[in-house]
Amino acid sequence: MIDIDRVTVQFGGVRPLDDLTLQLDGSIVGIVGPNGAGKTTLLNVMSGFVTASTGSITVDGTDILAMTPYKRARWGIRRTFQTEQVVNELTVHDNVAVMLDTARLSSAEKAASTRQALEITGLAHHAARSARVLNAFERRLVELARAIVGTPKVIMMDEPAAGLSNLETAELRATIARLPAATSAMVVLIDHDVELIAAICENTAVLDFGELIAYGPTAESLSDPKVRAAYLGVALEQS
Amino acid sequence: MTRVGRELGRLLPVAIVLLFLAWWIPAYFSSYWLRAFTAAVVYSLAALGVGLLYGRLGLVSLANFALLGVGAWVSLRLALHDPHLPVAANIVVGGVVAAALGTLIGLPALRLRGLYLALVTLMSAGAFFVVINAIGFPEGGSGFTGRGGSGAIRNAPRPSFAENDSAYFRFALAVAILGFALVLVHLRTRPGRAWAMIRRSEAAAYSAGVNVTMYKTWAFTLAGFLAGVAGGLYAANIGRPGTGDFGAASSMLLFGISVSAGSFHLLGAALAGLLARGLPALFSQRGINAEIANMIFGFLLMFSLTAAPEGAAGQLTGLARSMRARLSPRKRRAVSDGEPAGVDDAANGASAAAEVGS
Amino acid sequence: MIAAITGTNLLTFLITGLTVGGIYALSALGLVVVYRATGVLNFAQGAVGAIAALTLANEFIGKGRPEALGYIAAVALAIVLSLFYGLVISPRLSRRDPIVRAMGALGFGLFILGFCGWRWTARIQKLDLPTDEWSFKIGEVTVTLTRALVIVLALVVTVAITAFLNKTRVGLSMRSLANDRELSSMLGVDVRRAETVAWLMGGVIAGLSGILFGATKQLDASSLTFLVIPAIAAAVVGQLKSLWWTFAGAMLIGVIEAELTNFNRISPYKDITQLAVGAGVILLLQRSRVVSFVGADR
Repeated sequence: MIDIDRVTVQFGGVRPLDDLTLQLDGSIVGIVGPNGAGKTTLLNVMSGFVTASTGSITVDGTDILAMTPYKRARWGIRRTFQTEQVVNELTVHDNVAVMLDTARLSSAEKAASTRQALEITGLAHHAARSARVLNAFERRLVELARAIVGTPKVIMMDEPAAGLSNLETAELRATIARLPAATSAMVVLIDHDVELIAAICENTAVLDFGELIAYGPTAESLSDPKVRAAYLGVALEQS
Repeated sequence: MTRVGRELGRLLPVAIVLLFLAWWIPAYFSSYWLRAFTAAVVYSLAALGVGLLYGRLGLVSLANFALLGVGAWVSLRLALHDPHLPVAANIVVGGVVAAALGTLIGLPALRLRGLYLALVTLMSAGAFFVVINAIGFPEGGSGFTGRGGSGAIRNAPRPSFAENDSAYFRFALAVAILGFALVLVHLRTRPGRAWAMIRRSEAAAYSAGVNVTMYKTWAFTLAGFLAGVAGGLYAANIGRPGTGDFGAASSMLLFGISVSAGSFHLLGAALAGLLARGLPALFSQRGINAEIANMIFGFLLMFSLTAAPEGAAGQLTGLARSMRARLSPRKRRAVSDGEPAGVDDAANGASAAAEVGS
Repeated sequence: MIAAITGTNLLTFLITGLTVGGIYALSALGLVVVYRATGVLNFAQGAVGAIAALTLANEFIGKGRPEALGYIAAVALAIVLSLFYGLVISPRLSRRDPIVRAMGALGFGLFILGFCGWRWTARIQKLDLPTDEWSFKIGEVTVTLTRALVIVLALVVTVAITAFLNKTRVGLSMRSLANDRELSSMLGVDVRRAETVAWLMGGVIAGLSGILFGATKQLDASSLTFLVIPAIAAAVVGQLKSLWWTFAGAMLIGVIEAELTNFNRISPYKDITQLAVGAGVILLLQRSRVVSFVGADR
C-alpha cells in the first residue's frame, strides 16, 4: 500500500503536483492522465529525483521520502524509464545483476534471483550476450528484469509500451500480468494511453493538472464523467 | 565458473606477451632504450587512471601528472630520510598520499560536471607546479623539504634487487601489471558495473541502488593511487626528478595522450605510455627534434576527439573484432551492431535525465 | 622576512600588477567572447598568441625584416589560425559536451606549442616594442608607454566589446547564442556569421595579448601558451559571461600577484593566486547549485 499524503511539487510558478492525496492499493495499479498531468513527476518524487515541497509518501508504513535516492532503490522502490537505460558495455546478465550488488544476499541467492528475473522476462537465453545487440523490445525487457530482481516492494513502470509494436505490446502485457504471481511487489503502471491500463490494472488513479480526479477499480474510474471530460478536453484541444 | 575460465583464456595471451617483453626487452635493447621503455611503462600507469576517469565516467582530470609528482616527492622524501626503508613500500606510500590528494581534487566532481570540474583539476595541477618549483624535489638534505643542509646530493634509490636498468625495467613492469590487474578487477566486479551505470546516466545508476557519490570519488582515489605509484617508479627510474617536467603542459599532455590512445581500453593506457615516452626517445635518438612528438600528440588529440572517440586502441580492437567476424560468419551481426560507443554515449543518459526533470 | 615595503615599492608593483592584469584581462575577454558565441572554451588561445609573438620576434625583428609588417603578419596569423580552428575543426565537435569541445581546442594548442618549439629553437628572451622607449613618471616610478598602453587597451577593449555586443546586430546574435543556442538558430539567428566574428575577435585578441605578454613578461612558447590559465581564472570570475567581472577578476589577480612579490617568503608562491581565485570562484558559485539528476551540465 502506497500512501501519498498532501504532496505538492513546485517548479517556479508551475505545480506539476498540487496537494495530491491518494492511497494506492492492489497488485497492479494504473496511473493515467493526459500529458502534463503529473504522472512522471509523481514517479520521480517516489524515486527521489524530484523533491516534494510538502507532503509525505509512505510505502507499507515506511516513510520513503526520508531516504536518499539510491537507498530507496535498495530498499525496494524500483522503476523503469521512458527512455530505456540499458548499458551496452555490460552483458544482459550484468545489466540485471547490478541491482543486487549491494543486496544482503549470498552470491548463490543473487545468482538464483537474477536467473529468475531473466526467466520471467524471457531473457534467459540472452543472459551472456552483450546488451549492445538487443533490439528495442528486448531492451525494455531488460529494464523490467532490473525492476523485478531481488525483493522489490514497488515496481513502477513509466510508459513501458512506448514505441513497441502491437505484437510486442501484447507480449509485454502478458509479462506484466504474470508479475503478481512472481513477486510480492505492487506494480504501478503509468501511461497516458488507457488501453494497456484498462487491460491489466486492478485499480486506477486518474490525474489531471497535478490533481487526482478519480481513483477506484479500473473500469469505474475510467468511466467517471470527470475523466471523460479531461480526456475529451485534451482530445478537442489537440484536434 | 565458465566465466572465470573464459577470462583466464583471454588473459593468457596477454600474460605470455608480457613475459616475453620482460625477457626480450632487457636482453636486446641498450640502456637508453631500457630507460625509455621503463618510462613508458610508468607513464602507462598514470594514463590508466586518467583513461579510467574519462573512458568509464566521462570525467576529465588534468591533475594526474601533478599527482604523479606528488607520489615522486613523497617516495623520494621517505627514501632519502631513511635508506633502510624498502623502496617498494615508499612507492606504495607515495601512491596512498597521491590517492588522498586525488580524492580531495575529485570531491568537487560530486557537484561540478564537465568543464568546471576540468578547470578545478587544472588549477590544482598548476598549484602543484608552483609549489614544487618553490620547494624542489628532496636531495637528501635536512628539513621538511629535504633540501637544506650541506650534505651530498643523493639520487632516488632503486630497490636492492633491481639496481641495474634491466632489473629495474622488470620491476616497473611487474608493478604496472599489478596496477592494471587492480583496475581489471575493479572493472569486472561491482565498481565496474556501478561505473557503467553512472556513465549511462546518473538517474539510472541511482535507481539501480548505486551510491553515485561514492563510486565517483573512488574512481578519483584509484586514479590518484595509480599516478602516485607511477611517480615513485618515475623518480627511481631517472634518479633526480626535475621540477620543469611538471608544468601545465605535462598534465594536459597526459590527458591528451591517454584519450587519443584510447581511454576505454586497458590497451589504450599501454599505448599511451609508448607514445608519450617511446616516440620522443625515438626522435631524439634519430636526431629529430622531439618537439615534433608534441605536435603529433596535439594532432592525435584533435583527431581522436573528432574522428575516433574510442582512440587508437578502439580502432585496433575494432579491427580485431571485424577480422574475427570475417573468419566466422555467424558472429557477423554482433559486429555490425557493435558501433563504437564513444564517451558521448553518456550524453544519451541526458535523455533519461531530461525525462526525469520534466 | 619582509623586504622593505615602501610606498614606491607598492606603487611599482601596483603598476606591474595592472600591466599583467591588463594582459590577463585581454586574454580573458577573448575567451569570454568566443565562449559566449560558440560554446567553446578556447584552450588554444594562448598558443595562438605564442605563435604570433614568436613569428614577430624571430621571423621579422630577429631577421631584420620590416617591423611594421611583422605586427601585421603576427596578428593576421593569429586570426587565420583562430578562424581555421573555429570554422574547420571545432564544428566537427559542435554536438559534443562543452568539455570535449574545450579539449579539442587544447589539442590544437598543443599542436601549435609543439610547432613553436620545433621551428624556433634559439630563445629570444623578450620582445622589444617601440613603445618601450617612451616613458613617463608617476612619483618616483617610471612607467613605459607599453605598460600604460596595456592597461588602457584592456579597458578600451572591455568597453568596445560591451558596446559591440549591445549595439550591433552581430553582437545581439552573439548574445542570443550565449543564452540558448538551439532556440537562437531556430529563430533565424545567423549562427555561422556570429561564430565567425567571434573567432575573428578571439584571433585578434590572442595575437595582441601574445605580443604584449612577450614584451612585458617573457617570450617563451610555453609561458605564452599557458597564459590561457590565468585568463581562464579571470573569465571564471565573470562566469564566462560578464565582461566587466572578467576585467575586474583579471586586474585583481594581476595586482595580488605583483604585490606578493614584496614578501620574500610568499613570493615564490605568488602564481597560486590565479589558481586559487579560479578554483575558489568555481567552487563558491557552484556550491549554491542544487545537485541535479537531470544532467544540467550544458
